[in-house]
Amino acid sequence: MSVSADWSWRRVALAGMRDALMLPAWIVGFGLIGIGSLARDVGYPVDVAVLSTILVWAGPSQVLFFASIAAGAAWSAIVIAIAFASLRFLPMTMAILPLLRRPGQSVWQQLVLAHYVAVTAWSEGLRRLPGIAPHQRVAYFLGFANTCMAVSSIGTFAGYYLLGALPVPFAAGLLCLTPMFFLISLLAGLRHRGDAAALILGLMFAPISARFIGGGFDLIVAGLIAGSLAFLIGRTRTPA
Amino acid sequence: MTQPIAMLDGPLWPYLALMLFAVLPTEIWRWLAVGFARGLANDSPLLEWVRAVATALLAGIVAKLIVSPPGVLATAPAWVRVAALAAAAAVMLFDKRRMMLAVLAGETVLIGGVWLFAS
Repeated sequence: MSVSADWSWRRVALAGMRDALMLPAWIVGFGLIGIGSLARDVGYPVDVAVLSTILVWAGPSQVLFFASIAAGAAWSAIVIAIAFASLRFLPMTMAILPLLRRPGQSVWQQLVLAHYVAVTAWSEGLRRLPGIAPHQRVAYFLGFANTCMAVSSIGTFAGYYLLGALPVPFAAGLLCLTPMFFLISLLAGLRHRGDAAALILGLMFAPISARFIGGGFDLIVAGLIAGSLAFLIGRTRTPA
Repeated sequence: MTQPIAMLDGPLWPYLALMLFAVLPTEIWRWLAVGFARGLANDSPLLEWVRAVATALLAGIVAKLIVSPPGVLATAPAWVRVAALAAAAAVMLFDKRRMMLAVLAGETVLIGGVWLFAS
């Protein structure tokens, strides 16, 4: 829904909450149900599972953490795998912070805002924030992202006790929610040929790169090559 | 199962492990970005490139999760996983605002596919 420039921050934050509850919060929440069951499998308490959703706030990192412990990986290998999987947050956060920046904002406030950057808040934020007056964006973003986080915490808690009881097709369906929603978010955020090129090239390059480059570097290399090509494609079409 | 580091072991170990080995390596990139994004103009070409790389990285994760799926998702044949994403994408290309419908279409194909064709 649209946000009027004269609304109070409370009303703007509520609009963000409502937009999150329209669908995105449920998708993330359902997507993180699996984390609860993974944490239970390794014998960690339920509050560690829920804390991982609030503090890590990145599905792939959480999956890696609990699944690697279950597999007996070395702690050093776990840290490196998670660091590589999370490298995407560097460009993602850099891309969204300028939209949320206000005069007089402290570094601490920006660190707090940066913490909420994950696929959903990022893709939805890039899509919706430009249409909102700059002084209202922080309230909207926090309303939206905190709602996603709250629903996801409940999902993680529920998964800790419930997921093992689900029939296989539904458990598979829950696990497929993550890639499906990533793709849907990216498609919803397409603005021009450069975006479409980044999406298509990224889909193509990642499996190729996984075949030839090991050690966890494959995704980063694929992203850099595909993203740079897409950037050039986007620029040749729209000369400055 | 990875065992706790002996000298740090105790009832608080799971919390400590979470902070050291999951929160820190994830959050560090968000913190670094705060530093790098300072003074970066909203419409700079550098930001446009960064955005393209971020989009390609996310698309890459989608491809990886479909090509080598985690856990029980691997019971779905590869063509079912691809068909599920294609169904969701088709709805989105038809109408960008139908996100809910896209999720339902993709999940129907996937759950139905696993039900009928799972090995």
